[in-house]
Amino acid sequence: MERQNVPRLAALLLAGLGLLLFVSVAMARERACIPFHLKTEDGKIINPLTGENADQPYSPRQTCGACHNYDEITKGYHFQQGWDRISDDFGKKMDKPWVLSDGMLGKF
Amino acid sequence: MAKKKNTSPDEIDITIFEWVGGGPTDPKQIGVPFCGGCHPGGGGLEFDRDGKRYDQRLKAEPTLAQSLDGDYYKSKWDKSGVVEADCLLCHLPGYNFKERNKQLKMYNFKWAATAASGIGQVSGFVREDQQPTVQYNKRLFNEDGKIALDLAYPPPSENCNFCHGISDAKKRGFSWNDRRNHDVHNARGMSCNDCHPAIDNPALKVTKLQHQFAKGDENVSSVRDDLDNTIMTCRDCHSQGYMGAPRPTHLGVRPNHLEKLACETCHIPTLHIAGGEGFDVTTGAMVNYPVFNLKDLKNSPKQIGDYFDWHPRYQRIKRGQLAPVNALLGVFFTNLDKDGIYYPLFGRENKKAYEKIKDQLQPKNPMKPELHTNEQIKLMLTALTETLQGNKRFQQIKPYYHKGGKHYHLNDKGEVVVEDDHTHAGHVEGFNINHNVAPAALALGANGCGDCHSTEAHMFKGQIVTDMFGPPDGKPLTISSGRLFGCQPWAFYLNQFHQLYLSPYANILMLLVVFGLVLHYTGQGPKVADYYKSPPEIVWFPLSERWTHLFRMVSFLVLAFTGYIFFFNNITLLRMSFGTPQTAVVVHWVAGLIFIAASIASVALWGKYAKFAPYDKEWLAKKGGYIGGQEVEVPAGRLNAGQKIFFWLTGILTLITGVTGIFLIFKSSLPLTLSCVMSTIHGFFAVVFVASIIAHAYLGTIANPGTWQVLVHGKVSRSWAKKHHSEWYKEYVKQEEEEKP
Ligand code: HEC
Repeated sequence: MERQNVPRLAALLLAGLGLLLFVSVAMARERACIPFHLKTEDGKIINPLTGENADQPYSPRQTCGACHNYDEITKGYHFQQGWDRISDDFGKKMDKPWVLSDGMLGKF
Repeated sequence: MAKKKNTSPDEIDITIFEWVGGGPTDPKQIGVPFCGGCHPGGGGLEFDRDGKRYDQRLKAEPTLAQSLDGDYYKSKWDKSGVVEADCLLCHLPGYNFKERNKQLKMYNFKWAATAASGIGQVSGFVREDQQPTVQYNKRLFNEDGKIALDLAYPPPSENCNFCHGISDAKKRGFSWNDRRNHDVHNARGMSCNDCHPAIDNPALKVTKLQHQFAKGDENVSSVRDDLDNTIMTCRDCHSQGYMGAPRPTHLGVRPNHLEKLACETCHIPTLHIAGGEGFDVTTGAMVNYPVFNLKDLKNSPKQIGDYFDWHPRYQRIKRGQLAPVNALLGVFFTNLDKDGIYYPLFGRENKKAYEKIKDQLQPKNPMKPELHTNEQIKLMLTALTETLQGNKRFQQIKPYYHKGGKHYHLNDKGEVVVEDDHTHAGHVEGFNINHNVAPAALALGANGCGDCHSTEAHMFKGQIVTDMFGPPDGKPLTISSGRLFGCQPWAFYLNQFHQLYLSPYANILMLLVVFGLVLHYTGQGPKVADYYKSPPEIVWFPLSERWTHLFRMVSFLVLAFTGYIFFFNNITLLRMSFGTPQTAVVVHWVAGLIFIAASIASVALWGKYAKFAPYDKEWLAKKGGYIGGQEVEVPAGRLNAGQKIFFWLTGILTLITGVTGIFLIFKSSLPLTLSCVMSTIHGFFAVVFVASIIAHAYLGTIANPGTWQVLVHGKVSRSWAKKHHSEWYKEYVKQEEEEKP
């Protein structure tokens, strides 16, 4: 290998490594949740450091829902547990009038 | 749960508010979830059945709390707030589940997420009419007031287990990350999410965001059954090698076992923590019973989740296969109303009656009355008849006690009447067991068929509780596990005969036959006959008959060999000879069909000669000259009486094993009872068949030296024919004379 090529190659290698590092960090961060403000039920920011609304509990709907689709997420059956189908007449058909839904919210 | 619309307080069972915030609040139990603890929030914990937020609506219409609206009756939503979905219950490693339960039980609904995540500390409880306050942990916040949480995606199994560790321990003896109640997938580092990811399936119109987690087909649970079987099956992963799943060969396993049994049946032989045996609500509270230690009742586990080894019950599940389950036996009361419906009684209704008679009952443990005698049951039913009077939810008072597949009620004279329970309350359905999978070396069958098919094995003979406190002494009633597989009781006993007596003792029977023959041989010696003295010159068996015999003989040998492999499940021999069980099965029934065909041909050829004739009596009287070892002259036709008997015997045996065998070719599509019956009959008569063929072969070879040669050239000497088949020889000579020119 010719002498003058060595620094060039080194630079190239370094650049490559740097890129790899960047990509891997970027990939790792991509999935992570970013820092955010807690919010009250009414959507007001909670800042414990300044004391702003810091006596109130945080609201997941307002806080996480600011960036994530809270309504869509809570469609899952873990959240609904039959509530999305609950009705006073649900069990009439099967001669079990006390059954109001097919999930834990109403089945018993 | 309380209906939305009610006309009387009597109609209102547990309200949604109580559902969230109920349960015991003593220090020992306050961290244990009531219903709301395991519900992550959102849905019905946030919005009423009209789609309005509880807190806002109750603030706007405070009188709702005094109304009979099931969403608001006696509630404090205005003060407690609602339970929004607590994302961190699942996504935050180290989430404090006990704190959540405490907050909910103290009606601090909207504070629960803050307190349980550890983001802030909450003091003051709504249940105690205080206004809770929050103290945030400032060290979690950045300078700009933003919080940086180390959230987990996917949620760690530990978080799933806050709830599933409790509910599924009771339902099916489940635990995770538990060295003793181990799971092979867990041991390989898999997490809940690996099998139960969020469904992302356009065909089902479900997106990943919607948090619908892939599920199997649980028997009892019914929520979102439309999403059943969205999970990858054992077969999916283990045939594709997904996540490195090894491909099983199952070489030692009968093919029909792989069809008829769920994978779980063999691969989850034992659970190591106590699941629930059942529950009893007589006192008004739900009293859970951990599985019983039937061998030593006094040493039964104290509570669900205690370390204890037990084996499942087996039940045919939706997939049509037999699978391990755990049935929670219910002991409870209903009221048969005018509409013919048995309405389960509310906890408070039971409690009211029980409190009345508790002292008369004098149960050893007032928390566990375990009513089982008619006197006890009568007391409770009488008390219920009184306390339910005037209850607005019923038009007729007729309480029933449901327990152990029976129901009990009082007749007009006030006596207890016991009947089989065909109501919804008598229907026992097991919770599927599909976790805590054992490593392959611990699976049923790893040590051979005896793991299930033996006197000791749990699979058929293990005892399953059917009544937790049976009459007369309150001890559990049980039934043999195999009785629950879905065949008739008599078929079960027939099958037991097959497994416990026929299979183990068949080889003893064979040995006895051989021993008898050896005795005969040593006692009598080979028959001294003149078979070799004079040259064989007349044809006794023409080619067609010799070939028919040859076909029967060869196919019988194949049948006996493969049959032996099946009968004793000799895996080594099977692998050496056939490779896979499927091949052996096919070889067996193909040989069977050839044997049947050859047998039909033999009846056509020999049938007329095998008809009994008067002289056969003499032959039989002289026992065919078989005893004594000397050549005795006995009258006989072309076939002697012994051969005739043997011929018809093989005919009958062929008919029996043939017909049952043809059925068994289609074994996997037969109803269980039929296939049990068919295989027992087939096995039994096959053993008899083999034993008689051994005797036949003995007589045809060493007992009568030289006889076997007839199979080759079909010829015998004149002198021999004259002595042994006199009547036939006479005819033969006559015919010979006639044919002479
Ligand atoms: C300021 C916007 C914002 C807020 C507020 C927010 N998130 Fe996120 N979150 C994000 C972003 C951006 C990502 C990365 C998304 C991606 O890669 O798909 C993310 C990712 C996540 C992930 C996946 C994490 C991972 O490691 O892969 C989870 C879980 C999550 N958030 C939960 C929450 C919860 C719970 C809250 C409320 C307490 C919340 N987020 C609030 C923006 C936010």
